[in-house]
Amino acid sequence: MDDILGKEKDQLLADIFKEPLTDKEVIAFRQRVFEDLIDERAYTIVRGFVESIKEVSRLLSLEAEVYEEFKYGLHIDAALTYVNALEATLNLLRGLNVKSEGIASFISYLEGLVQGKEFQALKGLAYEAKAARDKIKVRVSVDGNRVRVTGDGGEDLSSRVEQLFSRFKGQQVRQIRFTGSREQTTHVHAMILRGIYMIFKEEFNVMRRLRDEFPNILDEGVKNFAKEFEFYIKYIEYMRDIESKGYKFSIPQFTEDGSIHVKGFYSMLLARRGTAVTNDIHASGDRRVFIITGVNGGGKTTFAITFGQLAFLASIGVPVPAEEAKVPLFSNIITAFPIEEDRLESLSRLEEDIVRAVNILKTADSRTLVIVNELFSATTSDEGFELARRFVSEIASRGSYLIYVTFITKIATLENVISLVAQVQDGRPTFKIVEGGPPSSYMAVQIAARHRLLYEDVRGHVGR
Amino acid sequence: MIEFDLLRVGDVPEAKDKENLVKDLELGKILDAVAQKDELIRGVWSHVLLLSGADVESIRYRQEAVKDAIQNRDVVVELYRFTGDVITRTERAAFLVTYDNPELVVLETAAGMRVMIDAFKDLKGILSRASFSSQAFQGLVNTIRENVDENFIASAKELLSFFDIRNNTLEFSVKLGAHNTLVDPVVLAPKKEGGVIRKLFNRESAYEFRLDPHDERGAEILGDIRKWVLAGLAPTMLNAYEHLLQFFKTLNEQLAFFVGAINLYDLFQRLGLPLAYPELSEGTLSFRDLHCLSLAISLNRRPVPNSLETRNVSAFIITGANRGGKTTFLRSVGQAILLARAGVFVPASRLALPSAGAPHTHFQREEERTMSYGKFEEEVIRFRKLVDLVRPGDFVLMNESFSTTNQVEASEVAKQVVSALVDSGVTVFYVTFLQDFIHHFVKEYGDRVVLLTPERLKDGTRTFRLVRGSVQPGYALDIWDKLFKRESSAAKAL
Repeated sequence: MDDILGKEKDQLLADIFKEPLTDKEVIAFRQRVFEDLIDERAYTIVRGFVESIKEVSRLLSLEAEVYEEFKYGLHIDAALTYVNALEATLNLLRGLNVKSEGIASFISYLEGLVQGKEFQALKGLAYEAKAARDKIKVRVSVDGNRVRVTGDGGEDLSSRVEQLFSRFKGQQVRQIRFTGSREQTTHVHAMILRGIYMIFKEEFNVMRRLRDEFPNILDEGVKNFAKEFEFYIKYIEYMRDIESKGYKFSIPQFTEDGSIHVKGFYSMLLARRGTAVTNDIHASGDRRVFIITGVNGGGKTTFAITFGQLAFLASIGVPVPAEEAKVPLFSNIITAFPIEEDRLESLSRLEEDIVRAVNILKTADSRTLVIVNELFSATTSDEGFELARRFVSEIASRGSYLIYVTFITKIATLENVISLVAQVQDGRPTFKIVEGGPPSSYMAVQIAARHRLLYEDVRGHVGR
Repeated sequence: MIEFDLLRVGDVPEAKDKENLVKDLELGKILDAVAQKDELIRGVWSHVLLLSGADVESIRYRQEAVKDAIQNRDVVVELYRFTGDVITRTERAAFLVTYDNPELVVLETAAGMRVMIDAFKDLKGILSRASFSSQAFQGLVNTIRENVDENFIASAKELLSFFDIRNNTLEFSVKLGAHNTLVDPVVLAPKKEGGVIRKLFNRESAYEFRLDPHDERGAEILGDIRKWVLAGLAPTMLNAYEHLLQFFKTLNEQLAFFVGAINLYDLFQRLGLPLAYPELSEGTLSFRDLHCLSLAISLNRRPVPNSLETRNVSAFIITGANRGGKTTFLRSVGQAILLARAGVFVPASRLALPSAGAPHTHFQREEERTMSYGKFEEEVIRFRKLVDLVRPGDFVLMNESFSTTNQVEASEVAKQVVSALVDSGVTVFYVTFLQDFIHHFVKEYGDRVVLLTPERLKDGTRTFRLVRGSVQPGYALDIWDKLFKRESSAAKAL
């Protein structure tokens, strides 16, 4: 998996690529949910729901950590957040024309829950408790270490200062930033709160009842929905970020005839920085081996990795980074990239490559995508070519798909392979990978020519 | 509401080309003389002199106030010193180095406010000794009398007594917010025994606790709570403090302008310069014995003045031999326009300007005295920027503009530029040697142009005075003479 993720680790992608490949039904289910959620309104509603449920859980778990006096308040807020989230989500989703089975079942689950007696009782009591809390106002007087709480009011000194000196005009109000610690739930605050509860006895009783009667608040089913949706929300958020840079996502279609038609696919990691170049890849299905050659730093490896990512994302039922994508549904994606450590002697590296190749051939079938990078490069190009020829022929006989990145251009001349070449314009790579014969002149040669260091130049000078 | 405005400069921005004005018109010398090393006076004067816009009404308002200030000069100077002193004492009493402790902010601002409240009595005493006649100064006296009465002073003193360092009791109201945390703290006035207020919202029960004397953490938290509560009051106090201080600072700053005018008045007396309050009269540009103030300051005596009487003239072309007082003339006009707009008297026995427009200068710089298309391009770019700032009614003072390329080419540019300015309602003063331009322009604009040249007496002596000239004679001969002399002295040297 590390090969597909690339060198730059991206947490969301890293998590996603742990998802197991799955079957058609699950993929279709997820794709329908994505289709619904790609609508900005639905996305906003569901994201709001997920965030609210997380907030409810946070408030409830916070209760365990605070003084008794504060538990009542946290409970009011947890209950209100929960009640409002469920009602709002339901109301808003009902107004949309959702098509997916996933969201439809969520709506009907919420309907059942919200209409239930228990939910209604919770709602009633939560609002009552909130109203009780809002009613409370006390006078506190602090004198040394003595604190006194009473139900009295008094004259606001700030407005008196403001009023008296309002005859002096001046510029806008200056704000002072209070930088001291600002703990709100200490034992001193709790003692003041206890005093408040003693003065406002009835109000306190309502709060206590809410906690006694509804200790848990959160419904298990709701919790599960929230967890499921979180994955979608995170993925869409990730997509939006990339889309904002001008790139497109699409929901892939699966081909039955083994053909591949992908237009405008790109590396998500590069797209996040706005530097990705889009590429296309096409295959009718009878030829399934792609040999990529061309200049170093021309985007060959990125192309291979990116296509692997796309194939993987398609197989777990999420939108893919491409303008349009029609691919076979791969059941297995296998990679063989160079082993970083060159501690391995060249002989053992070549051995290792062969072992890997053979292992690949063991499991590869017509629904396997194999991506290899500079396989068999730790030897002469003749020997490397020969190994590659064999490997390619074996892969082809199994009907597997192969993307082979190599600097041995001869491999691209094998029969029944599709030759892709990294393009160069004005001496610079364009990062476009295009079908065609392997390059006949090399970048290094062009550079030498520009600086008059080719044979005739050197001869001409030396000759003088 | 205390409202006074001795200057009526509003929030008009300073001229965008003020740096050129200061340099070209030698304003630094005038500001130095006016300020007498008082930075505040210098700052206010520089601001008022360099306003980008000034309307007739505000100019008359300031003129009247300046006359009044000179009439009541002792009181004005004393007021200036007194308000400055109150500001110093206040800032010493309110030791506000940081604003992160609301409790200190409240105590320190209260201390500062006590100083200022006490100062009002003396302020009123000083004011009562003057007999002001201008709208500006009368407005000041009235607003203070109306807003700062005995009642206000007494109320302020009582209110400030609540914020005494010795008073350790803090009373406030709170509500409950999210999570039942305490929110919306409001500092309350101390309860007066048997007061009416306590009946309003009375609940009998009370709850009291004392922190354990060993509970150090608790004491710390109580301290935090005090700061938290006072954080609501502190900005209010700080604002009241700053507004009160702002009153003294604004007054002090505006008075600085008049103290500067008094200094300038004394300077005029000492140098024997005439003094006139300018008039604004459409179509008229006239002055009698106008002196260049910066030159007078440099020389420390009266320089040679100039006089001019014109009606409906839009362009003044100044040409002729160097060192004949052309640049000085240009400066004297620019300085007079600025002083007039500020509402101050000018060093002339009479001055009438056609509008209250702003002056703009385009003086050729030393570094531009070479000829090249590159330099010419730079000059054109600079002039283009200046044009963006010019409005109808303004004055453009040009000193040898467009002399970085040959005379023929430059004349064409100058003709187009100056014609465009004049046709837009701008008055132009242009010191130039561009022959083609002068001829063309005078011919085309006729009575709307006045040509001025340095006066030369019959025996050849220069008077440093400019007189009306005509197109044909003088100028070319001057050049010829100059060139001839140079040639011949060169020949002699050979």
